[in-house]
Amino acid sequence: MSSLRDVQRAFRTALLEQDDRPLATEVLPDGLSASARVSVYRHHVLTSLTEALLSTFPVVCRLVDGRFFGWLADCYIRKHAPVTPCLLEYGGDLPSFIERFPACAALPWLADVARLEWAMNVAFHAPDMAPIGPARLAVTPAEELGALVLEFDPSVTYVASGWPIDAIWRANQPGDEQTSVDLDSGSVRLEVRRRDDDVLFRALPAGSFSFRRALAGGEPLGRAVDAALTADASLDLASEIRALLDEELLAA
Amino acid sequence: MNPTGCGIGLRSPHVAEILETRPRIPWLEIHAENYMGGGPAIRSLERLRADYPISVHGVGLSLGTAEGIDERHLERLAQLVERLKPAFVSEHLSWSVSDGVYLNHLLPLPYTEEALKTVTEHVARVQERLGRRLLVENPSNYLRFRETGIAEPQFLNELAARTGCGVLCDVNNVYVTCTNLGGAAEAWIDALEPSIVGEIHLAGHASNDADGVPILIDDHGSSVSAAVWNLYARALTRFGGVPSLVEWDTDIPALGVVMLEAEKAERVLEASGTHDVVAA
Repeated sequence: MSSLRDVQRAFRTALLEQDDRPLATEVLPDGLSASARVSVYRHHVLTSLTEALLSTFPVVCRLVDGRFFGWLADCYIRKHAPVTPCLLEYGGDLPSFIERFPACAALPWLADVARLEWAMNVAFHAPDMAPIGPARLAVTPAEELGALVLEFDPSVTYVASGWPIDAIWRANQPGDEQTSVDLDSGSVRLEVRRRDDDVLFRALPAGSFSFRRALAGGEPLGRAVDAALTADASLDLASEIRALLDEELLAA
Repeated sequence: MNPTGCGIGLRSPHVAEILETRPRIPWLEIHAENYMGGGPAIRSLERLRADYPISVHGVGLSLGTAEGIDERHLERLAQLVERLKPAFVSEHLSWSVSDGVYLNHLLPLPYTEEALKTVTEHVARVQERLGRRLLVENPSNYLRFRETGIAEPQFLNELAARTGCGVLCDVNNVYVTCTNLGGAAEAWIDALEPSIVGEIHLAGHASNDADGVPILIDDHGSSVSAAVWNLYARALTRFGGVPSLVEWDTDIPALGVVMLEAEKAERVLEASGTHDVVAA
């Protein structure tokens, strides 16, 4: 007699590794083979997870077409099944999976488009936050400012790419059939965030991008300043800090 | 606000319209896992809460898993329940987690003494953490285990007796399971202890061909079938005017179409003579 744990492992193997043998011995045929019965479950698991990925990565799907996306999703799901029931958190590994997926090698920008879509998904579901005013910075003694770690708007992600992923994304929205994208137009540095109910992204210059990305990554202010000045030695730091407050990027 | 009559499962394509037009819908049920993030989704729901009784229906707790309840997920559910203060909280008699992997399906349990002990412990833990009664729903099943020794309604009766939980009786699932596995749906309904039923679900199903044999699929993608309406009437006669709910999850039609299904259910409720009158 198999334990409940063994039965469930056999079921998982049948669903994700397509090997029904360990489970088949546990199942009553009831006029239909065990493997035909298990395939009802497998079909639902794979199609529902593919739909979850499709709703998070619609532009990737449009770029490769639905059938290819279905195959890509199938391969991904079998290797990276969800570890949480919250499917709005499922798919964070898909960009790096695409990067390593041999059939996507001819589309070197695809993984970065997926990174942009993932950042937009994170932004949409991020918790609401209350922005801080300038008071927090004002009360910090000057000698301690360098070590100050600022809490960023949790909806923000910074995405850099050697490809014009912003233009690719815009050209692949529903209804846009005509726009062509110059893939040689160079790299972009994007800030993705939610304002009210809308997820937006915009390109930033190198200095601002490095400064904000370092802060959002939890670096103290002093290290973020170093990163910013490395990217752009002429950066106006006072106006950069003012912009953080004006744009309500800092959380209380 | 306590639900009465027949509500509908709230689905994202309908949220804006409901917010704007506030149609007459007796109550709304949400899938818990869709509201565990922040942002616009949960904010919309907090606005709807003011006008509609809400029920929280979980799909991810995996009450039947052999490896223990995911305490982190239970905590997120508890926070959502605390925030929404719903009229009902429900989950399923199924499992979906094995070796930490979430399989996104309400997978079937062998109805054995071991499984009953496992689900009993998990339901007790969930009720302890939430500080309230859980309703547990019968799933749609497509297979049966050799070791199953307890009939599904008896399993639920025993679970309720041991934990004090209630049952969410999905009459479409009863019909789908009994048709797929051989068994009389009416006998299933008659075997369930009436006093433990706290809610009824209604939905459509599809019929697929599996190796030349028809198999019913619980896809929530069409209107409720005639056979399930008949079973619903029988269930009301037996269980009383239990709050009911129409679910529609694939090929989601216009809100009005789902509302018409719910209105049809209300007429069955009224005809059964068991519909609780809303207090003035």
